[in-house]
Amino acid sequence: MALGSLRLMKEKTSMAAGGPCIIGKQITIRGNLTGSEDLVVEGRIEGTITLRNHLTIEESGVVEADIDVADLTVNGELRGDITASQSVSINASAKVVGNIRAPRIIIEDGARFKGSIEMDVALPEGVVVPR
Amino acid sequence: MANTVIGSSIVIDGEISGDEDLIIQGTVKGKIQLKENLFVENGGVVEADIETQTVTISGQVTGNIRASDKVEIRADGKMVGDIKAPRILIADGATFKGNVDMDV
Repeated sequence: MALGSLRLMKEKTSMAAGGPCIIGKQITIRGNLTGSEDLVVEGRIEGTITLRNHLTIEESGVVEADIDVADLTVNGELRGDITASQSVSINASAKVVGNIRAPRIIIEDGARFKGSIEMDVALPEGVVVPR
Repeated sequence: MANTVIGSSIVIDGEISGDEDLIIQGTVKGKIQLKENLFVENGGVVEADIETQTVTISGQVTGNIRASDKVEIRADGKMVGDIKAPRILIADGATFKGNVDMDV
């Protein structure tokens, strides 16, 4: 009986391993977070995030961190500089303050954003960048 | 209730606090402060001082633990550090080095 219940628990926990890494609503992390899997933030993170995959900040999520990721989706609140190797999408419910550097940046209607955007665009000839 | 899962490729260097269950499959260095249950799974590595209600260790923990309810080291768990908790369980096969304080 005891063995059976232990096996059941193991199955339950390995099921949790199948999904993405989630930082729940009641959790606060202060410091550096690195990794190479998808991460979903519903809670709070302060510090730096370096991820080789997709970072999603949900509506309840609050992130105050410099971020270096492949893809970023923001539905919640974010303060910090963002470097993404692929895309950044700031959805309607998001509030973002910081500078973004990425090849693709999507800002939805309703989103609030303050900061600079750099898309590594090749400027047409003759255009002088104001300093 | 949604659990928080720190996945196997995730490394956190710093502080984690909160009041919901936390499952660690990756690496956490620093400090963990929870009002609920902490699970260090097989493959999980924790180098941190831990303050929670219960801790269940199937992975590797280095640091001191203060639990308000229970600490359980499973057969595949490895623990180095001091434990202070009213209930402490060490399974056959577990590795442990440190002091135990059960408030006797």
